[in-house]
Amino acid sequence: MRASFDSPGKKLRTWRAGRSDMRLHLLTVFSLAVAFVCLAASLLVVTNLAALRDRWSRAGRATVYLRDGTTDAEANEVLRALESTPLVKKVRLVTSLEARREVLADESDKALAALPPSAFPASLEVGFNDEVTHDMLDTTALKLRALPCVESVETYQKWTERLSSLLGGGVTASACLAIIVLAAVVSVIGSTLRLLLHRRRPEVEVLKLVGATDAFVRRPFVVEATAQGAGGAGLALAMLGVLFAIVRGRFDQELVTLLGVPPSFLPWPVIVGMIALGAALGAATAIVSLRRMVLV
Amino acid sequence: MAATSREGTFRPALRAGPRFDPTAARRPILVFEDVYKSYRPDQPVLRGMSLTIERGELVFITGPSGSGKSTLLRLIHHTEVVDSGRILFLGRDIGRLTVDAVPALRRNIGFVFQDFKLIPNWTVYDNVAIALEVLNLPSRLIRTRIGEALERVGLSGRGGDPAEVLSGGEQQRVAIARAIVGEPALILADEPTGNLDPQLAIDILGLFEDIHEAGTTVLFATHDRTLLDVRPRRVVVLDDGRAVDVPSGLTTDEDDDAHAISDERLAECA
Ligand SMILES: Nc1ncnc2c1ncn2[C@@H]1O[C@H](COP(=O)(O)OP(=O)(O)O)[C@@H](O)[C@H]1O
Ligand SMILES: [Mg+2]
Repeated sequence: MRASFDSPGKKLRTWRAGRSDMRLHLLTVFSLAVAFVCLAASLLVVTNLAALRDRWSRAGRATVYLRDGTTDAEANEVLRALESTPLVKKVRLVTSLEARREVLADESDKALAALPPSAFPASLEVGFNDEVTHDMLDTTALKLRALPCVESVETYQKWTERLSSLLGGGVTASACLAIIVLAAVVSVIGSTLRLLLHRRRPEVEVLKLVGATDAFVRRPFVVEATAQGAGGAGLALAMLGVLFAIVRGRFDQELVTLLGVPPSFLPWPVIVGMIALGAALGAATAIVSLRRMVLV
Repeated sequence: MAATSREGTFRPALRAGPRFDPTAARRPILVFEDVYKSYRPDQPVLRGMSLTIERGELVFITGPSGSGKSTLLRLIHHTEVVDSGRILFLGRDIGRLTVDAVPALRRNIGFVFQDFKLIPNWTVYDNVAIALEVLNLPSRLIRTRIGEALERVGLSGRGGDPAEVLSGGEQQRVAIARAIVGEPALILADEPTGNLDPQLAIDILGLFEDIHEAGTTVLFATHDRTLLDVRPRRVVVLDDGRAVDVPSGLTTDEDDDAHAISDERLAECA
C-alpha cells in the first residue's frame, strides 16, 4: 500500500508546485532568451571585431615608397638593410615598371596606360615578424622615413585605428543593450514570480500555517527564478550558436583570407559568464521582489 | 502515541538556547491573562479574558457565532496579536514573540480548520508531508510518521490519492493527520465539524478524543452544542468577551449563574 505513495526519496517536496507550472516556466525562459539573444549577438559582433583588430594590428605590414629617380642599387641597399633587421620576415622590391604592370593588368584604362613609368613609384613591401608591436612598427617607419631615398611609409595603422573606434562603438552599444536586457530580465522574472505567487497562494498559506519560515517558503521561488535566468541565457546562446553555425557555413575561404581571421563564436568565459549573469539576475529579482510581496 | 514520543515534541519549544527552562514542563500549557482583542475600536471581541489550560486537557470552546472563538485560536497561533494582556504557551508570552520565532511556535501547534485548508491537487501524502518538511526531518522518518498518522485517522493506503477526490469527512481526516503528524504539544481545532454532516461530525470528534487520550492537549472550538451533550467534558463558553468555565458539562449545576447565561446564548444559535 505504501507503493502508491508519491516517491518519498525526493528532497524538497515543495517542488510539486514547480512541476505543475511547466508551461509558464517555458514561456518565461523563451522571453528571457529573446532578450539575452540581443545581448549575445552584440557581444558576438564585438568579439569578432576585436579579433579582426588584433589580427590586423599584428599583421605587421608596411609599404615603403621610394622617391622618383632612386636607382636600383640604392633600392637594393635599403632592401638588404631591411632584411638584416631581426624584426623583418621578408622584403619584396616592387620596381616602378612592375607597379605599372600590376595596375594595368587590373584595369585596361587608356588614360592610365598613357602615364609614364615614373608615375608609378617603386616600393618595398615589408613583412614583419608576428611579434612586432605597434611601437616597433612606428619606430621602424620613422627610421625609414629619414632615409633620403624614401618618399613615405605606409603602415596601415589607420585601418587598425578605424577598427578600434568601431570596436569602441560596439562595446558602448553592447553596454547599453546589457542595461536594457537587465531591465527586461528583471521585469519578466518579476511578473512571472507575481503570477506564480498568486497561483500558489493556497500552498504558501498552508506552508505558513504549518510553521514554515519565510526562507523555506521563498526557497523554491528563488531557485525557480535562478533556473529561469540561467535557462533563458542558455537558450539564447544555443539559438545564437545555431545561427552562427549557419552563417559560418556560408563564409567561404576567400572571405577568411581577406579578413585574415575566421569568424569565431563567443569564448567560453563569456558563455559561462552570461549564464551566471542570468542566474544571478533571477535570484536577485526573486529575493528582492519576494521581500516586497508580503507573504501571507 | 506513547508518552515518550510526545515528550519529544515539547523539546523544540523548551530547547530554545539560553532560555531553556526545566520548570516549563510542570506549568499549564496555555494561560490567558486578561486578554483584550478588537478588530475595530467600537467592537471589542475579547474583553479581559482569562483562562488556564493544563497539559493533556481536552477543552471545548463554545459560544454563539461571532463570540470570538476563531479569534481566540488565531491569537494562540499568532495569526492575530493581542491588544493587551498575555497568552503564555509553555510559559512563554506569545504576544512578545519576534516574527522569526513564530514559525517555531506554529510547529508546536497543530491547527485544524473548518474548511480543511488542504492543497486540492496534491496527494494525501504530500498534504501531510508538508508539516514534517518544515521540520527538516529525513525523508525516511517522514515516510514512517505519515504512515502512522494516516493509520490513526483511518486513511491507510490513501496516501497516493489527490486530496480533491476525497469526501469532506476524509479531507478533514487528512487535515487532522497533518496536524498530528508533527506530534505537537497542542492541537487547535476551529469548528472542524462545521462542514460535515452529524454522523461524520461525531466520527471526527471521536478522532480528537483519541488524540487527547494519547496525551495531546486539544482545544476544540465549536458552536454545535449537540456535540457536547454526549458526555461530561470541560466546556468553556465565550460570553461577552470573557471565558466562562463550565467544568462538568452542560447537564449539571442548573442554578450556576454563568451557566444559565451561556445556556441561553447557546440556545440562540442552535
Ligand atoms: N479579520 C477580521 N477583521 C475584522 N473583524 C473580524 C475579523 N475576524 C473576526 N472579526 C469579527 O470579530 C468577531 C469575532 O469573530 P470570530 O472570532 O470569527 O468569532 P467566532 O469564531 O466565534 O464565530 C466577529 O464580530 C467578527 O465579525
Ligand atoms: Mg469561527
